[in-house]
Amino acid sequence: MRRRALEIGMATAGAAFLVAVPWLIPALIDNFWVSVITEILIWSLFASSVNLLFGYVGLLSFGQALYFGFGMYGVALGIDHFGLSFWPAFGLGIVSAMAMALVSGVFAVRLSWHYFAIITVVFSLIFYFLAVSMKPLTGGDDGINFTLPPVVNFGGKVFSLTDPTLQYFFVLAVVSLCLFLMHRIINSPLGKGFLAIRDNDLRASLIGLNVYALRLIAFVMAGFLAGVSGALFAFFGRYASATYMFYQVSGEAVVWTIVGGAGTLFGPLVGTALFIVIREIVSSHWEHHSLIVGLLAILVVIFAPKGIVGLFNGWLSRLDERDAGQPAPRRLTLQAEP
Amino acid sequence: MRDTVLLLAMNGLIWGLIIALIALGLSVIFGLLDIINIAHGDFFMVGTVLAWFSLSVTGNFWIGFLVAPVIGFVLGAIIQRIVIQPIHGAAALSIVATFGLSLILQEIVRITFGATPRRMLAPIQGTIPLFGIDYEIYRLFAAAVALAALGGFFLFLQHTKLGIWMRAVRHDRDTAVAMGIPAKRVYVLTFGIGFALAAFGGAVAAPITTVDFRGGVDVLPFCFMAVIIGGLGNLPGTVAAAVLLSFLEGLIQSVADPTIARISSLVLMSAVLLLRPQGLFKGFVK
Repeated sequence: MRRRALEIGMATAGAAFLVAVPWLIPALIDNFWVSVITEILIWSLFASSVNLLFGYVGLLSFGQALYFGFGMYGVALGIDHFGLSFWPAFGLGIVSAMAMALVSGVFAVRLSWHYFAIITVVFSLIFYFLAVSMKPLTGGDDGINFTLPPVVNFGGKVFSLTDPTLQYFFVLAVVSLCLFLMHRIINSPLGKGFLAIRDNDLRASLIGLNVYALRLIAFVMAGFLAGVSGALFAFFGRYASATYMFYQVSGEAVVWTIVGGAGTLFGPLVGTALFIVIREIVSSHWEHHSLIVGLLAILVVIFAPKGIVGLFNGWLSRLDERDAGQPAPRRLTLQAEP
Repeated sequence: MRDTVLLLAMNGLIWGLIIALIALGLSVIFGLLDIINIAHGDFFMVGTVLAWFSLSVTGNFWIGFLVAPVIGFVLGAIIQRIVIQPIHGAAALSIVATFGLSLILQEIVRITFGATPRRMLAPIQGTIPLFGIDYEIYRLFAAAVALAALGGFFLFLQHTKLGIWMRAVRHDRDTAVAMGIPAKRVYVLTFGIGFALAAFGGAVAAPITTVDFRGGVDVLPFCFMAVIIGGLGNLPGTVAAAVLLSFLEGLIQSVADPTIARISSLVLMSAVLLLRPQGLFKGFVK
């Protein structure tokens, strides 16, 4: 099986690269890129929350920035206002994001497709404007800054995310864990229920699945992913700001996900990496890098409508067919369109 | 107190008429091509910038009223042909494609027009007394122009061959094609008209708002709300919803600050979505 070998090879190479980043990258380019790759990991987790809803349940959310913002503010307010230490603040961020997702999900998942997209964006706009207007608490557009508490205090030895290498590994560990959880859930009976709803919600309800409850579960899970990424981003930037709750932030995650390949585990990572790397490379040479980003989004959609990972998977399937001399079985998780 | 209420309500009403023009463009594109157009706010922004350029080049404000929709139409037609047609009406893909379009339009404006927001002087200065307050003449004029354009568009849709083609393709594409209607050309035309409506709205609104390369960002969600509250595919509903939303926001602004007003209109919007997802006007507008 060339396909299996190729997949394992790529996964090993990818993992080896990610583990080696703190030593490899400073030697090859410079330290700055370690923080860029940290940022890519955080944003790809955020894009994964869009992917979980859109790629696996068929709900296009345009409001994930709301839960990202709650994760962010949970951490920032936890540290700055309540004087929490690292882990409780992290927990506060995640729990408040999930609670918000539960409350808005109760209403939002009753709707589907266009209506769902609009109501999620409306909810996120409501809280964006609230955050902007409650300046004493949230700092509005300027945001609030905080100093980073140590992660652990190990018998006098203090570990803190101010060390870029430690910060990188912390983010890598958290993001990997989340993606692993997502992988397990998608391959569980619950995940099969998600896919059934994505492909046809009427049929799913007729075979006895509780469509409303499953969608709500997925929505809260997506809120969890967005909350974790928001909390990580707050630690990474040491601040929280209302600007990250605007609908354009949600929109970017949708674009990264679809360009990378919706409905694939690593699609959001690929899409996010592509856009952020281009932004970082081009913006230092040319001020108008948005032109290239925009052009790229259009070209991918026209020439690779299933996203980059979707394109790659299609190529793998053709490889399989040639090996076996017959059409490969169609895999359920590889479709970009719900 | 009564004067502020009246002033803000009037402002809201007139802004609503302009938004209605833009939202109508969005609704037409959405209904006929099934394209979720993230770049629509930027079409409006392009209109304001075109008005600014034609004023500074020719010194005549009114040329902008002609230039903005014409250039908008041409740009829209070209964009449809190059970007929209290849994705075959896949709604999820259209979000990405129009997002890219939005970035490109904003960046081109930033290169040519600059990043600093500018204000444009209204071509008609002065105020007239109206219900006991002094009201800007240009705003009244803008309302009249917007109303005329809305009326013109509905006449076009009802009574011209192209308008009938557009309605036919929207109603049943396959039958329309079988009857010999060139559907592909109708799509190009529709996208052009959608862009032209937004750009014209921009030209009318230019002296009322600021001309800025990010000017479309705030307008976009508002237009989508109008389209949804009015009911998908219900064009008169879209217009009514835009005017109603903006009028209500103006009213609330007279007792609370603008952000609170925006939040309350958003809350209202969620209530409509949850209670009447088919739109506010289904049942009494055919």
